[in-house]
Amino acid sequence: MTSESTLFSNRWLPVLLVSPFMLLIVLFFYVPIFQAFYWSFFLEQPFGGGSMFVGFDNFARVLSDREFWQAGWRTIIFMVTASSLAVLIPLILAVAADRKIRLSLPARNVLVWPKGVAGASIGVVFAFVFNPFVGLLAPLNKAFPGIWAPGIDGTDAFITLIAAHVWSGIPFNFVILLAGLQSIPRTMHQAAAMDGAGPWRRIFDVQLPLIMPQLFLTLVLEFTESITSAFALIDTITHGGPGGATTLLVYKIYKDGFSGYDLSGASTQTAILMVFVILLTAAQFVFLGRRINYER
Amino acid sequence: MKISILAAAAALMAGACSAQAANIEFWYGNTGPVETAIKAQCDAFNAAQTQHKVTCVGQGSYEVSMQKAIAAFRAKNHPVLIQFFDAGTLDLMLSNAVVPVQEILPDVKWDNYIAGARAYYETSGGKLFAQPYNASTLLFYTNKTELEKAGITQTPTTWEEVIDAARKLKAAGHACPFVTDGDTWRVLEQFSARHGLPIASRHNGYDGLDAEYVFNTTFVAKHLQNLVDWRKEGLVKLNADTKAGNYTAAFNAGECAMMEGSSGSYAASTKAFDGKYQLTVNMAPMYKGYERHNTLVGGASIYVMKGHDQAQVDGAKAFLDFLRKPEQQMAFTAATGYVPVTNDVLEAINKSGDAKAAKYATAALGIESMNQPPTADSRGIRLGFYVQFREIFVEETQKAYGGQQTMQVSLDNAKKRGDELLRRFEQTYKGVKLP
Repeated sequence: MTSESTLFSNRWLPVLLVSPFMLLIVLFFYVPIFQAFYWSFFLEQPFGGGSMFVGFDNFARVLSDREFWQAGWRTIIFMVTASSLAVLIPLILAVAADRKIRLSLPARNVLVWPKGVAGASIGVVFAFVFNPFVGLLAPLNKAFPGIWAPGIDGTDAFITLIAAHVWSGIPFNFVILLAGLQSIPRTMHQAAAMDGAGPWRRIFDVQLPLIMPQLFLTLVLEFTESITSAFALIDTITHGGPGGATTLLVYKIYKDGFSGYDLSGASTQTAILMVFVILLTAAQFVFLGRRINYER
Repeated sequence: MKISILAAAAALMAGACSAQAANIEFWYGNTGPVETAIKAQCDAFNAAQTQHKVTCVGQGSYEVSMQKAIAAFRAKNHPVLIQFFDAGTLDLMLSNAVVPVQEILPDVKWDNYIAGARAYYETSGGKLFAQPYNASTLLFYTNKTELEKAGITQTPTTWEEVIDAARKLKAAGHACPFVTDGDTWRVLEQFSARHGLPIASRHNGYDGLDAEYVFNTTFVAKHLQNLVDWRKEGLVKLNADTKAGNYTAAFNAGECAMMEGSSGSYAASTKAFDGKYQLTVNMAPMYKGYERHNTLVGGASIYVMKGHDQAQVDGAKAFLDFLRKPEQQMAFTAATGYVPVTNDVLEAINKSGDAKAAKYATAALGIESMNQPPTADSRGIRLGFYVQFREIFVEETQKAYGGQQTMQVSLDNAKKRGDELLRRFEQTYKGVKLP
């Protein structure tokens, strides 16, 4: 506390400086969230004018809906596969870039570029890249007709989505992990090398343990982000299809709320999803976060 | 002091002006050539009179337009006129957000509209809720040039003939004989209507909110299973099977030889075919042994939204009157392929001497299709949350095309999920009577 008061002579100044941002958060985050929780206990007419308190009816309806569980299950599969790949691949790239292999300098630069691309644009590009007739896999389709059909086969569509998500996740995770790797003192490598540890040994016994805080950060962010940020990709690449195979919970909420005018059901699912994300993050901190040693 | 006087004067003037003239907004959802035609009508209205000014705002799609309208209505920031599509009819009727056009324009001769168009949008008391605007119906498009190449000289009129033709096309090496997107409007609604089959009980919901879906038990189930089988045989292609990625684009590019499509895409097809292929349009095919009934009026209509002052409503009325003028409807039809649905416009077209011209090809044909003998189940669809049901239907049937489940399982699932929507709609509007 003493250090703060030395920075700001007036105790209201920091509050004032933060307030515009807090106002935005309240307006665009807490108010809608509160609204969603509120609506989840009502049956709401789309155009307003009539809403009826129904208690936990909406929750009972959503929780007994097979589509909800399927979308939830798909969300979990996507979360686990997409976010672990979105950390693993940047990790490999970062370790390589850190080893000062040839071209690591331009690679460090180039690999950051995708960060500047919006999710929806990535979606449009990937829809083209994975197009069965003109995309990258078109030659495969020529050889084996129908083997790659993301418009018909749900699994293919899901793979497209994961690839797009992982690609968009590379830059941020790469930067974080590379920064972690570079902050490891060279003396550690030298000491390990003198003790006879080869490159692989050094990666597993020196580098990985020392970048655990960064790995943990990227994993937590990826887990939560994969749940929400998949929306832009789904909306541009698959529209939730074919046959609902890529309808993750975020997309289902959007569909139910905005094209189905089911404001109550969408709100209920939002509430459930949010509680799930909070619990998931809390669990990560409780079970993983504690084991991480931030001291060096 | 001076400033406040000025401000008061300005406010007074503004008030005085708005009592006579109004700036009104009209939201629509179309894009492409149709949007161009809509904008032309807006400009023509503004040029034809000086009292009112309409600002036409494109929202990109019917769904987005409706989403924005809901948000805008809740924020009391909504336009006075809005175009909505057929599927949202009941949602709007019960929304308490719109005024029936026949109520605010009681002196218009509404019986000028053909029965098929009225039936879709009118209350049980016979009052028209919305003014039909870009009306369309399902037609059967063929690429005559490609068909003739395969030795087919007669345009198929039954499904049996369509599939025979498709087999011939395939034998002649054609990669895509018949294309559809499997959309609910095309394969369920228009098919059921013209074959005289109900989609839901209580005459598709016209008799009450307690309707239930029944399409999984009708002949449409057989037809959809046929589509699955024909697709396996290589006769029928879906959006994702085509290089173009979209059925109309695939047909227009000459990739596919036959399609069932809205009359509203006629203009785009003629333009794409110009100089390359010959285009034929006909009424949508029937199965042998079924009597032909009317197809439904699709497309969209214009609603007047509540909560505007008299000047704005007057402006809205003037714009609606303008759009109903025969010459406006004719120009719109010629530019887009949408079907004029008033009798006086049909007469005007016949008198114009252009009746046989390509630009009016869909008008006579579309009217003929919509004027076939109706049944109680071919009036329209009056089911709640129907926009979402359309998506459920597509989602479930895609699973059948993908081979994940049989078509019957898909349809049973779609019925079950659809019924849940209907029950929730019933509960949301508890105690509300159908108008």
